Amino acid sequence: MTIAWYLAVSALIFAIGVGGVLVRRNPLVVLLCLELMLNAANLALIGFSRMWGNDDGQIFALIVMVVAACEVTVGLGVIVAMHRHRLPIDVDSMRELQG
Amino acid sequence: MIAAALIHPHGPYIDWAALSPLVALVGGSVVVLMVGLLRSRFARTQVVPFLTLVSLGVTIGFVIWQWHRHVAAISGALAFDQLTGTITLLVAAGGIAATLLSWRGQAPRESAHGDFYSMMLGSITGMVVLVAAQNLVTLFVGLELLSIPLYVLCATEMHRAASLEAGLKYLIVGSVGSATLVYGLALIYGATGSTDFSGIAGSISQGHSSDVLLLTGIALLTVGLAFKASIAPFHQWTPDVYEGAPTPVTAFMAVATKAAAFGVLLRVFDVMLPAEHLNWRPALLVLAAISIVVGNVGALGQSSLKRLLGYSSVAQAGYILAGVAVATTLGARATILYLVVYLLMNIAAFGAIVARERMTPYGDDFDAVAGLGAEDPWLAWPLTIAMLALAGVPATAGFIGKFFLIDALVGAGYTWLAILIVVGSMISLGYYLRVINAVWMRSAPGPSASAAAGVPVIAGGSPEADALGQTHIELRFAAVVFGGATVFFGIVPQPLFDLAQHAANTLSGAL
Amino acid sequence: MNATHAAWLVLAAPLAGTLVIALSFKWLPRQTAGWIGTLAIAVSFGYSIVAFVQLQSLSPEHRELTSSLWTIARTTGVDASATILVDPLSVFMILVVSGVSMLIHLYSVSYLKGDRGYARFFAYLNYFVFSMLLLVLAGNFLLLIVGWAFVGAASYMLISFWYRRASATQAGIKAFVINVIGDAGLVLGTFFIFRSSHSLDFVATFRVAPHVFAYGSGGITAGCLLLLVGAFAKSAQIPLHTWLPDAMEGPTPVSALIHAATMVTAGVYLIARMHPLFQLAPAAQDVGAIVGCLTLLIAGTIALAAVDIKRVIAYSTMSQIGYMIMGVSAGAYAAGLFHLMTHAFFKALLFMAAGSVIGAMGGEQSLDRISGMRKALPFTFICFLVGGLALSGIPPFSGFFSKDDILAQIGSRGGWYWALYAAGYLGAGLTALYTFRMIFRAFLGEPNPQARELEHGHLFHPEQPTNPANGEVEDTDVGFPGPDHVIAERALPMRVAMSLLALLAIAGGIVGIPKTTSWLENFLAPTFAGSTIHLAPSNTLIYVGLALGTVIGLGGIGLAWVVWVARPGSSTVIAARLAPAYRLFAGKWYFDELIDALVVRPATWFGRFAQGSFERVFVNGTLIGGTTAIVRAGSAVVRSAESGFVRYYVAFVVIGLSGVGLYFLVQS
Repeated sequence: MTIAWYLAVSALIFAIGVGGVLVRRNPLVVLLCLELMLNAANLALIGFSRMWGNDDGQIFALIVMVVAACEVTVGLGVIVAMHRHRLPIDVDSMRELQG
Repeated sequence: MIAAALIHPHGPYIDWAALSPLVALVGGSVVVLMVGLLRSRFARTQVVPFLTLVSLGVTIGFVIWQWHRHVAAISGALAFDQLTGTITLLVAAGGIAATLLSWRGQAPRESAHGDFYSMMLGSITGMVVLVAAQNLVTLFVGLELLSIPLYVLCATEMHRAASLEAGLKYLIVGSVGSATLVYGLALIYGATGSTDFSGIAGSISQGHSSDVLLLTGIALLTVGLAFKASIAPFHQWTPDVYEGAPTPVTAFMAVATKAAAFGVLLRVFDVMLPAEHLNWRPALLVLAAISIVVGNVGALGQSSLKRLLGYSSVAQAGYILAGVAVATTLGARATILYLVVYLLMNIAAFGAIVARERMTPYGDDFDAVAGLGAEDPWLAWPLTIAMLALAGVPATAGFIGKFFLIDALVGAGYTWLAILIVVGSMISLGYYLRVINAVWMRSAPGPSASAAAGVPVIAGGSPEADALGQTHIELRFAAVVFGGATVFFGIVPQPLFDLAQHAANTLSGAL
Repeated sequence: MNATHAAWLVLAAPLAGTLVIALSFKWLPRQTAGWIGTLAIAVSFGYSIVAFVQLQSLSPEHRELTSSLWTIARTTGVDASATILVDPLSVFMILVVSGVSMLIHLYSVSYLKGDRGYARFFAYLNYFVFSMLLLVLAGNFLLLIVGWAFVGAASYMLISFWYRRASATQAGIKAFVINVIGDAGLVLGTFFIFRSSHSLDFVATFRVAPHVFAYGSGGITAGCLLLLVGAFAKSAQIPLHTWLPDAMEGPTPVSALIHAATMVTAGVYLIARMHPLFQLAPAAQDVGAIVGCLTLLIAGTIALAAVDIKRVIAYSTMSQIGYMIMGVSAGAYAAGLFHLMTHAFFKALLFMAAGSVIGAMGGEQSLDRISGMRKALPFTFICFLVGGLALSGIPPFSGFFSKDDILAQIGSRGGWYWALYAAGYLGAGLTALYTFRMIFRAFLGEPNPQARELEHGHLFHPEQPTNPANGEVEDTDVGFPGPDHVIAERALPMRVAMSLLALLAIAGGIVGIPKTTSWLENFLAPTFAGSTIHLAPSNTLIYVGLALGTVIGLGGIGLAWVVWVARPGSSTVIAARLAPAYRLFAGKWYFDELIDALVVRPATWFGRFAQGSFERVFVNGTLIGGTTAIVRAGSAVVRSAESGFVRYYVAFVVIGLSGVGLYFLVQS
């Protein structure tokens, strides 16, 4: 199988992720879609790693996973804080800051 | 033999002396976090920020100690050269200023002092790693180490919906930026088979320069980095986050993040991808032009000072990007010079704004600084100087910075962008002068409103800490020192030239 | 410590004084600001002496030192640094400036003591001294322009110091506007010179000037004429002189320091400093000499008819600077600078004495009301007399030697310079006449009520403070002179300052007694060593000149005695008989009206016309209106895009990403 197929799948996942961020209003789902985008990059990295036959891409992918976990943790933390302050859990209602 | 190798694994050689600034930052972060757990209120509120300052001071000391070295540390993953050293100085200075600004502020109290300052030191660590990065992995790690603590810091004033909103917005848009960046890095890796900057540069010079994968990768990388540097049209988080975040954090983001982001832009474009400059230069020049227009135009008519400075930072990012885009030594020097100047004038402005936020009930609205000239010249002057410097008025460092950017642009044949910078500065007077107008020509709103009304509960007033009539000595100190430096370097710019030349030495080989 | 280090400290002291006073005025107890200011200038003067001594210890051909502290800009074609030039000329100037400034600061410590703007005054005054020293020490055109503009700003602030008085603020604005015309001339002249010399540095410019400019060529002539515009505006030469009499609205020490002793002589310094350039442009030199000559005559005649005591001295200042400009333009550099120095002494003294008289009159300045002050103000009278004798050129006072030195050198050039020579002596007669008219009217005759009261020990204070210029009742808030008046007889610092200046005015001529002591000429010789004009007046010319000067001076005094003392009332008769001339002089030769008719009115008319047609339709309507509309619309677009919806922000990122991505793909 050529690298093109890996890339196509990865690009598709990335696009799904972007689409999700663009259309979903629930911040939890938005976070999931961000995960999708990062994992699309991981897929591409691992595919390239296999293509070039070196480990750099795999190591990179591992690190991306760690970072993705951190991001989601922070995101969840903020969402919890918003919930505690009885703010609506909806990205479209976050419009105090604008202009 | 194999058994012996397993028992005594050989790690890479680590040059601890070169790494010492990073060690100081990481160590400081851990110590600050631990001290923040103590029960004593004094330890939490006073010792923690003090230790933060110590840690940053030690970092600066180490940087100066290693000033003339040029080392590739940890198997070449990080380069501690003049550029890294200079940017480390800048972000550490930004960190010191932010610590002073938040010393008695609301944000660290709400989020626990240890966590707040530890997070800040972590972010600074990320900035240093980012600028020192010599391969794609460390670049990404540095970027995320910079960003994630910032997301948290933005949301630290948890009782304010705006702060949480700013944090979540920054997180979502920032993560999209990071994902874009990491995808771009993946494509660059795919095109060249290497994560090393030098390996990539080597691969490009062997004839991969118009590879589709590579170019798409560069496009994504450009967007990811432009996002961090708040270049339009990837700037939209900037005004919102600047306005919503606690003001000391805004100050920190404005100066330190910008320094780190442009440090890495210089590194990536002028070290890793110089062979590609015919491809990326027009793109960066156009992005710079868009930023200058959007930032300056957007700042008109704002009523929040922080939001105004947010847009202003977009415009300034456009100016600085122009210095990166010309891809000459002169341009690199002008970029570094402007970063230093930008730090000075912004801290002077934010120092005054934070002080007014604590002294009046108007938050960061224009009303907060109305009549400041008559009431408090020691804050009014730094704010005035900062505004004039941001607009680029002569006899301030802002003029020197712009002068050299324009010089570099004209020297490289991009006179149109130089003209745009001048036009942008003209538009910018439209909002910077409004601030000066409020400071000197308006009278304070209401009969001594600042004394009578106190800080309303909604802005997080707590009588014990926000006792009005506080002298805010540390804020005054920051504002006056940085404002004074802005004027001093506007008259005596020689030290800045030397610093910029020193930092740009790293790049001169590549350009 | 070498001479350049000392020169930097000369600059640093007044700057430090300004900053200290300006930043800490709230906490300074009474009169401390004045003493701090005086001390700063005294330190400056001390270092000037050090610089002088150090410079003298070098061999004459090495007495041209430059020192650069830092680089201001270094880019293609321009290499500007903060450079000072220490040579005999600049050391001479800093000695005069800091020395006279020190005494005037000392005088002001007492003179201004009732003023609520006391600290502000000394902050400004120190700032002025710093600017003036920067101007004379500048080693390149850039710093010269900075110093030139700074002294203009200081002059503006000090003329308008009593900002409650509308007349004072108007005078400040007038001075500033005319000075800016001069600044523009200086800057444009610098461009002309820089275009060919490719250097801002004085030493380098002067070195290459003979090679890049042909003698008398258009470029250098235009450059020098533009420099002359700067010199004329700063030194109040015709037709850019009208600001100087109005500048007398400032406090009297300001008139003494800025508008007599130092700033107004900057034009003389400029021509002397630029002599290698001017010598390449003989036409510009001639213009300078002729304008100086006209100024000295016209100002002398106006001084005859003026009634405000300070304005009489102001016109006299213009006239004396006319001598200097004439001298340095004709190549009599050392003589012109000699007169600059003696003039600084005796003119500052005259202003100080006038200040004391005004103090005794409770703010009144009109000679019509001042009379018979001799017994009431004995010390002031002596000082005034010394100053007046020096100004009239009576031996052995200092003005005698310096004025005759200029005229003898001009006479030695022969040709049409004889006309200048004759005009100079005519001017000398006028000088003696108007000076003693002022002295006789103010000090002799019947004591007026104020003088009588003072003779009994009571210093007059008006019940209601009025503006002496127009008689308006004054607003007595900050920015008004204060109700208290001061006379030298009752203030030790003023007496000390005036006594020292009186000694200098008497004996200052010793540095340049012809054929005996040519100390000043020898000291300045290294600066003018390369001069192509060599003037050596013959002995006959010198001795005839000295004799002629004495006779004319005494004759003028005698005439003044006859007209205003021996036969009181004869002045009105003469004025009536020579009515057209008198009206011309009293009307100040109608220069204000002339400028108004030739420049101000047409410009106003054109401005109105342009505003009504061009401006309203094209500039305001289309250009400004269109631009602001575009910017406003842009602002609206950018801000509405900033909708607050985070999903839209992501959408913008994606759109931008697509744009950048497409661009890069097109490149592949």
